[in-house]
Amino acid sequence: MKKLIILFLPFLMLTACVDSLDDYNVDTKRPSTAPPVTFFSNALKGLADTLTSPNVNVNNYRLYVQQWTTTTYLDEPRYNVTARIIPESFWRGLYKGVISDLNESRRLINADALLLPATKDVQLAQIEIVEVMTWAALVNTFGNIPYSEAMNPENPLPKYDDAKTIYDALLVRLDAALPKLESKGTPFGGGDLLYKGKIPQWVKFGNSLKLKLAMIIADSDPEKAKKLVAEAAPKVFTSNADKAAFPYISTPPNYNPIAQNMNSLYTSRQDFIPSATIVTPMNELNDPRRPFFFSTINDKYVGGQYGFLNTYSAFSHVSDKIIDPAFEGLLLDYSEVEFLLAEAVERGFIAGSAADHYNKAVTASITYWGGSATDAATYLAQPKVAYATAAPTWKEKIGFQKWIALYNRGWESWVEWRRLDYPKLSPPSGGNVPAGLAIPVRMIYPIVEQTLNGANREAAASAIGGDLASTKLWWDKF
Amino acid sequence: MGCLLLFVTQLHAQDLAVTGKVTADDGSTLPGVNISLKGTTRGTTTDTQGQYTISTSAGATLVFSFIGFQTQEVIVGNQSTINVTLKSDVSQLQEVVVTALGQERKRNELVYAAQQINNEQIVQARNPNVMNALAGKIAGLDIKTNNNMGGSTSAIIRGYKSITGNNQALWVIDGVPVTNANTNSTDQQTGRAGTDYGNAASDINPDNIASVNVLKGAAATALYGSRASNGVILVTTKQGRKNSFDVTVNSGVTWGKIDKSTYVKYQKEYGAGYGGDGAKDQFYRGNLGSGEGDIAVFDADASFGAKFDPNRLVYQWDAIDPTSPTYGKMTPWVAAKNGPDAFFETAVTSNQSVSILGGGENTTFKVGYTRSDEKGVLPNSKLGKNLFNFSASFDLTKKLTISANANYSQVKGMGRYGTGYDGKNPNQQFRQWFQTNVDLLEQKAAYFRNRQDVTWNWGDPTAPFDDNGPIYSENPYFARYENFSNDSRDNFFGYAAAVYKIAPWIDLTTRFAYNGTQDMQEERIAFGSSDPAQYKRFNRGFNETNLDVIFNFRKAITKDINFSGLAGGSMRRSTENSIRAQTNGGMVVPGLFSLSNSANPIEAPTEAYRRIGVDGLYAQASFGYKDLVNLDLTARQDKSTTLSKNNNTYFYPAIGANFNISNLEGLKRLGWLTMAKLSANYAEVGNDAPWGSTLDVYDKPTGLGNIPYFTLRNTKNNPDLKPERTKNYEFGLESAFLNDRVGFNFTYYRSATLDQILPVSITAATGYAFRYVNSGEVQNKGIEISAYVTPIKVQDFSWTLNVNFARNRNKVISLYGEGATKVTNVQIASLQGGVSINAAEGEPFGVIRGTNFVYHEGTGQKVVKTNGIYAATSSSSEIIGNPNPDWIGGVSNTLKYKTLSLSFLLDIRHGGDVWSLDQWYGEGTGLYPITAGLNELGNPKRSPVAQGGGVLFPGVQADGTPNTVRAANVDGNGATAYGYPGNPPRAMYIYDASYIKLREVALTYALPQAIVSKLRAFKEIDISVIGRNLWIIHKNMEFQDPEEGLGSGLLNGAGGYQSGAYPAVRNYGFNVKFRF
Repeated sequence: MKKLIILFLPFLMLTACVDSLDDYNVDTKRPSTAPPVTFFSNALKGLADTLTSPNVNVNNYRLYVQQWTTTTYLDEPRYNVTARIIPESFWRGLYKGVISDLNESRRLINADALLLPATKDVQLAQIEIVEVMTWAALVNTFGNIPYSEAMNPENPLPKYDDAKTIYDALLVRLDAALPKLESKGTPFGGGDLLYKGKIPQWVKFGNSLKLKLAMIIADSDPEKAKKLVAEAAPKVFTSNADKAAFPYISTPPNYNPIAQNMNSLYTSRQDFIPSATIVTPMNELNDPRRPFFFSTINDKYVGGQYGFLNTYSAFSHVSDKIIDPAFEGLLLDYSEVEFLLAEAVERGFIAGSAADHYNKAVTASITYWGGSATDAATYLAQPKVAYATAAPTWKEKIGFQKWIALYNRGWESWVEWRRLDYPKLSPPSGGNVPAGLAIPVRMIYPIVEQTLNGANREAAASAIGGDLASTKLWWDKF
Repeated sequence: MGCLLLFVTQLHAQDLAVTGKVTADDGSTLPGVNISLKGTTRGTTTDTQGQYTISTSAGATLVFSFIGFQTQEVIVGNQSTINVTLKSDVSQLQEVVVTALGQERKRNELVYAAQQINNEQIVQARNPNVMNALAGKIAGLDIKTNNNMGGSTSAIIRGYKSITGNNQALWVIDGVPVTNANTNSTDQQTGRAGTDYGNAASDINPDNIASVNVLKGAAATALYGSRASNGVILVTTKQGRKNSFDVTVNSGVTWGKIDKSTYVKYQKEYGAGYGGDGAKDQFYRGNLGSGEGDIAVFDADASFGAKFDPNRLVYQWDAIDPTSPTYGKMTPWVAAKNGPDAFFETAVTSNQSVSILGGGENTTFKVGYTRSDEKGVLPNSKLGKNLFNFSASFDLTKKLTISANANYSQVKGMGRYGTGYDGKNPNQQFRQWFQTNVDLLEQKAAYFRNRQDVTWNWGDPTAPFDDNGPIYSENPYFARYENFSNDSRDNFFGYAAAVYKIAPWIDLTTRFAYNGTQDMQEERIAFGSSDPAQYKRFNRGFNETNLDVIFNFRKAITKDINFSGLAGGSMRRSTENSIRAQTNGGMVVPGLFSLSNSANPIEAPTEAYRRIGVDGLYAQASFGYKDLVNLDLTARQDKSTTLSKNNNTYFYPAIGANFNISNLEGLKRLGWLTMAKLSANYAEVGNDAPWGSTLDVYDKPTGLGNIPYFTLRNTKNNPDLKPERTKNYEFGLESAFLNDRVGFNFTYYRSATLDQILPVSITAATGYAFRYVNSGEVQNKGIEISAYVTPIKVQDFSWTLNVNFARNRNKVISLYGEGATKVTNVQIASLQGGVSINAAEGEPFGVIRGTNFVYHEGTGQKVVKTNGIYAATSSSSEIIGNPNPDWIGGVSNTLKYKTLSLSFLLDIRHGGDVWSLDQWYGEGTGLYPITAGLNELGNPKRSPVAQGGGVLFPGVQADGTPNTVRAANVDGNGATAYGYPGNPPRAMYIYDASYIKLREVALTYALPQAIVSKLRAFKEIDISVIGRNLWIIHKNMEFQDPEEGLGSGLLNGAGGYQSGAYPAVRNYGFNVKFRF
């Protein structure tokens, strides 16, 4: 019998009981703590990816402003926004891909009792500027969005806030953050992929952003816009070197998403070509940026017909410069700042010469892309470009040139086009085009919001006048 | 030593040697019959010839017993030869069934539903996959096979219970749970891309199985704890018998061909293009060798191009291939002679198995080996299986028996089929994006000429071969032969156990079981493909140990009251360890598939290390009164590591009783009533959380150079999760009549799963995509009926009919949250095409949401827009389908004439919806016949509406007047009447997935004994001709097998979604079985 007990004993002693297995449910391959800056870095990539990507499931704004068109699949240039999850990718890319990581970065900084207050201030200000920029991108895309109740997983049904209310709050947040940049603490350094911790450039970036956000409400709230523009204008970008750009590298997954979608190293697809809508006027003006924007076909720049089938091999392609994996992703540049200043002068928000700012803006764009100052001067000397003679209204002059300068920045260009109403773009028509197409002036809410947060989406839809691509945002007065 | 001496002494006390032969009532000899001397512990068994010898004395009683036969007692007189014929015991109610933890119970003691089928029913059609072999045979077991070689099979008992978790039945082999994990990716399960590597239960050797018992309700399965809440499929393997030796060899081959009724039929009028017939760009222009001419629109993956015209010469895809006989030549513009169905080859499966069972005086053993080689219907696909089984037991002493069991399976796959929306799934091009002018046999020849990607889908219409390549689709042969995957799965399962008889009424079992799996998967994309070259590998090790210590009791308390019971504990520990890595952004050296060949430094592999421990204590007590009433009480408590310490212990009870009415004194004499039993039970089962759902951690994306990134995960974990719980009650009535010629079994059940632990999807505005919560309640209720009748039973002929029917009604009762934050819909999966699978309050599990038709208020008719296409609701969250069937059933017939037996099985599924991405895209690209031909005016549908073309959809205009607007159907871009371009309501592509299938046919001829005995070496020779899936008698999907899905994963919503569906495969073949 003893032998038998011995036989059974090993079985009983083989394992420890559950209570002593605390580490079983711990993920030993993933951390539960990490440096705050790493979340900030990842958020910057998320923001740059979403705004830069030409992926038809994420960002079709280059098509909406007719800088590009497609070869074979016409859903996107014909504004079908429900075919796939286009709004959802953009929405998720910013909420989950940017703001949530910025929040986590902030939470970790605030929780760090050993960090100097000044350092906290400056790092939180860096976070705040990027966050304001991201929220503004969401508001300017969708209108009303979850804001005050957002970013709380305990509340799966956040209500949507009024777009204007959010926007005003963002402007306040930005104003509060700007002075903290100069608190003399230690900013995010290497992980600050925009400026490597150079505070003077952050100050310029913050103020340029303020200028830009303020100009967006120039039609709807000119007084506030004027005040903010006047405050910001003296401290904005002063050269191309000040630009905010995400430094993509040639190695996936930190390469430029344009390369991912268009470079033959990574895809055989041939979805996009430049649209005749932009190529033709640039040809007429002998635009020195063409070789940097487009390839040639038989030594000519030929754009495809917007919204119709186009044979890839018969038209110019997007330039090698743009599809280079290491091509940087611009978030805010000097040229657009100068355009904003020109506009601010025209609106009487600041004093100065609109023509001067306009010339600087065009020159900055040409030199950014690879042209020379001489090229710019020659270009500007043409009557159709020169500020005095280009077009009857400042909106048209600035709108048209800004549209060219914002080539490859489709989302930004779409915002400015809605605001300035120039250049005049027409939806495709004729042939087999379904009747009644209209260029979206707003992106519809993600379809998934209907199933995930239905009642709140419904309320928001009726508050803004319908969840439609034709519903204008509050600042889009004309 | 003492025990042996005692045994020897007893032998000497006997004085009469009796010999004899035991036969069955059909005349066959019965080896392995137990013969015991009543009132003693002594006995013997018949040998392979049915012969026995036993020492006894006059006046003693010999008891002859054998499973499946009525026990017979014979009083020994002074004769020395006693031949016995045992009557087969056909009464299902008396049969012994194996229940939870391997307890053997008589059927009339059971207080819950359980349906058992034996080896013969499983292997009759020689299905190499046990899971698929169960289809249609068990009431309430919903088996959903798919047509993918070695693909996973879904086995659902009594409906879907868990909203996002595992719903698959637990497989238990000889009392020990084994893994049946589906390791496929989320993308695979949602139809995006990926390979279905199958699930491990498909590696169980069918020839090793003695019986399968399906335990459906919680009362039957509570002893297995948490994991059994989806029901248990209990496999009992064959065991050797003492003093016997038996060898069985099976050898069979089957061939398979696709069932063309489940495949695409193409329109034959128009060829490649998006632009439409007669458009200015319906062809490219250029000179590819024979002068300026039309060039087919290679880069258009659609058939909305120019009308076929044999007199029109066009440069086609082969004109670019320098090795093609038509290089640089124009060829007639005609529909392909050999369409994609020519791509599918004849499948061949060979299955060889040997099984040796036997035993000595104190031992039993079993050795089995099965080798199966399968070549699928896709080129370059094969699946090889080696299955080894061994078990043995040894009576160490009279009180102590030790046993061990070892099973090893080795599965090697090569070229498994790609699934879903994936270039590796040829159906993506064939069903969705194709040119009807492409001849598949020409594609085949083009690939084999130089093994390059000579696609029909060139990126450039005029570039030479060397500078050209596929834009979207590969040559499908190139994809099969160059971009193939391979994998292996090594699975070991075994146990060592000891049973010690402490006293006549109590014994102790300890068992240590181990299950270990090693998976290796490699996927590749070769140079020359449309995508950058890539190599991916996945290695996974999984092991689980289960230690059980069980005391078993059996004692008569009084003359009329019997008690049996058990008390025990189990410890389960499992570890999963995996690593997944892939090359980054292309590769350097063609043909070298290794991670080091990556063009860029590889990203850090994804590692996983997951451990789970569950300790359980359980007890069961069963009381029986005079074979009349039985009462079962069960309780179990589990403690799991996956929950927070304050929430990790959960207790659950079960109670059940039955009443054998037919054993009432008054009814015993009724000749027509063989058996009748009423039963009822109630049970609860608790369940723990998935691993890693309580504590939050970060993900680390690949950093930029030396700048690292971290990010919050997609899923917010929840430390407050509490155990989930399933409550279940059922009532049953079992009855048999007319000496068991007719019988039925009826069960009603109702279960509710509460506090489900779910990673619910939440709006990204929360900063996460998912969040773990205890959520709501899912209810399943239904009925199951199985019935049998033997309408004819005469001397040489019999006909037996088995029918089963199950109807389950599934409903999501509630989700989570309260008041303003009450959630009424949880999205399970968002699928390509703009539909989603959901759990919605008040609706069945898995409802499909998308845009619906708009119905006119007055007329109730579908509204047509001003362009003639059906209007879609503005909301995409309309419920447009329910994937759950109304009922499922099976009818099996067995006809026997002498030694010839014919059996066939019909498998029926009624109702249930499926959404087809294939039709959504394929109709939009003009592949299907509906997109061409003539409209109701007799004009070509593809002519402009102004010329009388177009399509008139039945319905009304917005004002309620009948529709008179013909929808344009001229080209593939926006102006198609069908499919995705017109953005019609998604509800238009919902199909009814009902079917009636002739699932199995087997004609078996057993060589008459007279012939077999002359062959000396053999005891039995059976020859079978078999067929599987020969005929889909009824279905409502025109070009698909309605059963086809994306495997056993849950995310395709109970199978309610098809993308790149494979055709059904008809199998036919033969098998020869020898017994030695």
